[in-house]
Amino acid sequence: MNTPPPPSADTPVTAGRIVARSLHRRFGTKEALAGVDLELGPGGVIGLLGPNGSGKSTLLRILTGLTRADAGEVEIDGVRLEGDGLAVRQRLSYAPGEIALYGELSGAAMLEFLLRGRPPEALSRGQELCARLGLPLERRVRGWSHGMKRQLLFAAAMAPAVRVRILDEPTEGLDPRKRGEVLAILGEDARLGTTILLSSHHLGETERVCERIVLLHQGRKISDESRSSVLERARRVLRVQFASEPTAGLLESLSGVLRVRIEGTRASLELGSADPRATLAALGQQSALPAPIAIEHGSLSLTDLFREFYGVEAC
Amino acid sequence: MLGELRSRLWLAIAYFVTLELLLIGALAYWPQFAENLDKLRSLIPLPVLQEMADEIEASGFPAYLAGQHFFKGANSIGGLVAVLFAMFAVALEVQRGTLEIWLARPVSRARLFCERWLSGAFWLVLPVFLSTLSVPLIAGYIDERVDVWPLVLSASHQSLFLLSIYAPTFLLSCWWANPLGIGFAMLLLALFQMSLYLIENLTHYSYFRLADVRVFVEIYDTEALPVGGTLVLLALVIVPTLLAWKRFEKLTP
Repeated sequence: MNTPPPPSADTPVTAGRIVARSLHRRFGTKEALAGVDLELGPGGVIGLLGPNGSGKSTLLRILTGLTRADAGEVEIDGVRLEGDGLAVRQRLSYAPGEIALYGELSGAAMLEFLLRGRPPEALSRGQELCARLGLPLERRVRGWSHGMKRQLLFAAAMAPAVRVRILDEPTEGLDPRKRGEVLAILGEDARLGTTILLSSHHLGETERVCERIVLLHQGRKISDESRSSVLERARRVLRVQFASEPTAGLLESLSGVLRVRIEGTRASLELGSADPRATLAALGQQSALPAPIAIEHGSLSLTDLFREFYGVEAC
Repeated sequence: MLGELRSRLWLAIAYFVTLELLLIGALAYWPQFAENLDKLRSLIPLPVLQEMADEIEASGFPAYLAGQHFFKGANSIGGLVAVLFAMFAVALEVQRGTLEIWLARPVSRARLFCERWLSGAFWLVLPVFLSTLSVPLIAGYIDERVDVWPLVLSASHQSLFLLSIYAPTFLLSCWWANPLGIGFAMLLLALFQMSLYLIENLTHYSYFRLADVRVFVEIYDTEALPVGGTLVLLALVIVPTLLAWKRFEKLTP
């Protein structure tokens, strides 16, 4: 990565931050974003999750100035998004989620196109990254695979020396080896202090690289937590499969239970602490409940966790 | 800007070569045409075209040049190129999904718009000027002499006429993500306008009236652009271009 400008005494406190206030965007009758607030960075990899149609891509396009918000404000790296968003786009780099390139161009020409408006060092850095990813820049993009095109967009987004990068599904369609390489490059960049907002459908990688996770659902931000907090919450969830449908009131009365969610014969209990022993003991003594036939604790994936907490698929 | 210009270079060269070949062929035929004008006129079926022959009989070589090079060559081939350049300008980016990568770079929308608009306009008018300015050279071979200044004015008027086709097509391209649909719509419109032109009672309602033999002969004789016609054409370039910019400014991937 090109090293972003080092902080100096003159560096404003807003440098490297992504700030959005009360973003609204409507497409016809569909409300794509309904008042999203964000304050991310400086530095770190932030995962943006949400099911299809949750507003992730709209949010990313608004942050880059490609789509105008109906209401709300955006500030990137200390610069307010105004007009056509040029000042903001000069301070961030963006890898779009949609893969559509000019097939008639060679990889080298395509990279040059993508890095137009950047200093010359960005192009040489982009070429280095493409070489590292094994992209045949001399060949026309038309003959490239989906994954190769995705990597070219990623390389172009990682090449400029900026403090903020916005990446929409950079590993989608990549094989595990390439995905590992892309994540390694991301990690190296994050260590330099860049703020990376990463939209992904791959929860494993989000768990691996993101320090913070933002969850969108139906145009609203429903969760914004650090990874450690999410994992800590995961350790406080007890999942119990009963022989028949349990009663919510009885479960809520069990010792240490904060919240209950029931789906058929399965119940998720959010506990006050990571130690489930008192609750399990109370469960054993509660004869009015159906017999528990399976119990899980502390092994929730991110997908399960968001489903348990918010009743939505994270992606 | 260079990339934009490069992307249309081959089509522009083909356009210039076509115009030039048509011009050479037409001018080479002039001595025979002049000699047989009476006989040829008797073969012309439509009054509007006979009017054109009258104009050639009255003004001679400049009117013939206007008919062959401007009215026939530049209006038809140039009109086609104007539509081709403009119909793909923005609509193709939307259609093939490349609008996002085009707009996502740190380049202002105004600059992207101007580069795309101007590069098409440049290649549209340059071949008209180059081929027109080659007329004195070719005319020398058939013992005709033409002044350069009236030719420059004629080429300017012709360019403005072509731009008045280019600009509305560009506007459509900013609105409608279907380049072929835009092309067909413009083709139908052109056919309709040409039909109007050929009907004696309706000819004055045709758009082609703004760039026909009569107009070019007047430019040649007066050595000045027709004020009314030029203003109309200018408005037809400026207004659609401003509307296209308004639309482009808000375009979302």
